[in-house]
Amino acid sequence: MDKKSAASGDRKLTCEDVSKCFQLLESILDGENIPNSKEVIDEKLAKCAPCFQHYHLEQAIREVLKTKCTKQSTPAELVANIREKIQELK
Amino acid sequence: MALKTNMQAYRYIIRESGTKGQIKPKALTLFKKISDKFTLSLLLELMSEVQRKKYSDREKNDIFDNEFMPHIDSMYNFGYRLTFDEDDAKDLVQDTYLKAYRFINSFEQGTNAKAWLFRILKNSFINDYRKKSKQPAKVDYQEVETYYNSDDVDYGITTDLRVDAVKDMLGDEISNALNSLAVDFRTVIILCDLEGFTYEEMAKILDIPIGTVRSRLHRARNLLKEKLRSYAQNMGYKTDEEE
Repeated sequence: MDKKSAASGDRKLTCEDVSKCFQLLESILDGENIPNSKEVIDEKLAKCAPCFQHYHLEQAIREVLKTKCTKQSTPAELVANIREKIQELK
Repeated sequence: MALKTNMQAYRYIIRESGTKGQIKPKALTLFKKISDKFTLSLLLELMSEVQRKKYSDREKNDIFDNEFMPHIDSMYNFGYRLTFDEDDAKDLVQDTYLKAYRFINSFEQGTNAKAWLFRILKNSFINDYRKKSKQPAKVDYQEVETYYNSDDVDYGITTDLRVDAVKDMLGDEISNALNSLAVDFRTVIILCDLEGFTYEEMAKILDIPIGTVRSRLHRARNLLKEKLRSYAQNMGYKTDEEE
């Protein structure tokens, strides 16, 4: 089965336990230790359209947050200021 | 007899906690059980004396340089996203590092320095910064949590946001969406998605149960998706399902 395509006709269109499923998928994306996580993902993404969409959307959001919100550059003088204050403490 | 039992208990406590850092909760409970107030305070003082001398100056500098300073960029990013002001962020980060140095003996070498620093920064933000800046916290968290606690609002609204639209968004749009969230929601997303902390680490940083981390994060993400969805609409992306 094509796991990358959303257009697969074999997936059910509604998820009966959307709240539980989504939270589970989110925990897996967050790197939590979920037993058999790979199997869980394969199973859900292959069989359930809402889970498929949710998973890929969540994955995309995590990706853009990680790549686009961590580039704040630290002011150059900050480290020097901290070291100076620490010297005063000593 | 009682004295002998107490002596054994004290030995146990000292052995358990002694020079290795903070007193374990189990030991502290036993401590309280067998001591009157005076003895308790005396012993705690003696033990913190032992702890205070845990690291030599050289060790302190090593820890500071090799375990604390490498996190400065993450710390500044966190500080900036909490305060939205460069000077405030600098103050907050500087305060955090000074506190970290002052209380370095309560840091356990080999444990997660980054999580330890983030916890100090978060507490400094709540205790110092929020009080100093006279503005009250913008949103009462409890209220927000209750409001979004209903599962009804969780799904449906945001399911039509498209992956492509998200991927095409500019840094500023993502950043603004994140910054528009109430501070408690913003914080969990920063910790989890930007900094990669585990739920367990987040629970320690924020002093909340792990279940609360999970649900707060879930709600934060739903709020973020609503923001992103409105950006996507403004960009002209069709957010409705294609016919």
